[in-house]
Amino acid sequence: MTRLTPWLAAAGMAAAMLMSGASGAQEIGTALKPDEIKAEPFKDAKTLGKVAKGDRLEIVARQSGWLQVKAGGKKGWVRLLSVRRGQAGQTNVAQEVGGVAGVATGRTGTGQVVSTTGVRGLDAEELKAAKFDEKQIARAESLAASSEDARKFAGQGGLAAQQIKSLPDPRGGAQ
Amino acid sequence: MNARQVRGLLLILGISLTGSVAAIDLDELRRAIEGPKKEKKQEKTEQPATKKDAAKDAGAATPATEPKKKDKFDLGKVLSAVRQISVEEEIEIGRQISGNLLGAAPLVADGALQAYVNRVGRWIASQSGRSDLKWTFGVIDSDDINAFAAPGGYIFITKGLYARLQDEAQLAGVLAHEIAHVQEKHHLKVLQKQQLMSVGSDALSRKIKGQEVVQKLIGSGAEILARGLDKTAEFEADRIGVVLAARAGYDAFGLPAVLQDIGANTQDAGSVALLFKTHPHPDERLSVLGDAMGQRFDDVKGKALPERLVRMR
Repeated sequence: MTRLTPWLAAAGMAAAMLMSGASGAQEIGTALKPDEIKAEPFKDAKTLGKVAKGDRLEIVARQSGWLQVKAGGKKGWVRLLSVRRGQAGQTNVAQEVGGVAGVATGRTGTGQVVSTTGVRGLDAEELKAAKFDEKQIARAESLAASSEDARKFAGQGGLAAQQIKSLPDPRGGAQ
Repeated sequence: MNARQVRGLLLILGISLTGSVAAIDLDELRRAIEGPKKEKKQEKTEQPATKKDAAKDAGAATPATEPKKKDKFDLGKVLSAVRQISVEEEIEIGRQISGNLLGAAPLVADGALQAYVNRVGRWIASQSGRSDLKWTFGVIDSDDINAFAAPGGYIFITKGLYARLQDEAQLAGVLAHEIAHVQEKHHLKVLQKQQLMSVGSDALSRKIKGQEVVQKLIGSGAEILARGLDKTAEFEADRIGVVLAARAGYDAFGLPAVLQDIGANTQDAGSVALLFKTHPHPDERLSVLGDAMGQRFDDVKGKALPERLVRMR
């Protein structure tokens, strides 16, 4: 047991680091593709600079399809779909210990295993063993909203149906 | 009509009267698989006038086929024996899967939350190709990060995933992805394929009560939800989901934002184990979805409604 202690301590520290990352501070990301940094979150806004693929960014905020970032001394907006998001520190933990511990436990990152204790999960075995619950499904069905009720609620939120074309499969799959 | 023909007729009537979910015309199938062998013993002149008559013949005579194919498993013929599953049958299947899922993870006891999710979900479903279904949505008591769809319009999101959402558009994106699975009948297609594979097992030929037949069809418990769909179906549901949410008036980037969040910020990797097992990695989904979306949504205005998102008690 004593031999394990340094490992547990390291895992605890990693977990603590992850948590501090989660509580705010800063979030980092990586550019998935080259993109322009815009002064405002729309395509016709003034271009302030560029990011290259692989550039690290600091993510400040999100608005619809745009992320406000700091990169290369510039602060502006890049497309959400151009960025892979990740917290500072997390990637390193996953890379350093996730490869070994992750294989052994089926999870990635030792720091994270600690936090799973007592969590109510839903895995393949539980689903397979699940027994039909008539009361629950009847309850669920009784909570269904009518289309009219849903339409009114949408209206209250200012939502209106829009005409939007279907998205084609970019890989040209059979449709 | 000989005894064999009567038996065959009764078999068909039995299936239709019990309203079971037999997705397959068993007689057609039996003929496709066993028929050719038996036919060798039959007189060739005894050919049925119509296909319908042939079906009643319960593996006796078969319609004329090319002699060369007779000893082979004729996949084309088997496929043609799969009839359309009726909407009632589809709902029965979905209800059974959902009841099983709720047996593993019950609804969160929060009426206001459940009513809210149903209103949001139903509005998006009204934009789908299956707005006439009676859609049922629910938040289930699991810390896992996941969402599920079952045939017939049953959609569930775990409280673990719900707790990560930041606005109504993100909820809309998740629900719309699941609605897309129902619209495209992705799970039904999996079930049909499975039945074709195990067709010799005769699983549906006995007269048993409806629920038992359905359970037999879907396997053990809600395992069908743990096996997942193929990648193509998931990417398709992502594309359709984005479009459905946008048609409902929501910010189209709700689903991409959720994928980005799950891909990067999941503290507890155990909570996404099933999601990652049954879906392509969120980074891959985001990348493929990004290619499809491109700049098409640049000028589409949608609402995010962060203030309206109901927080769990």
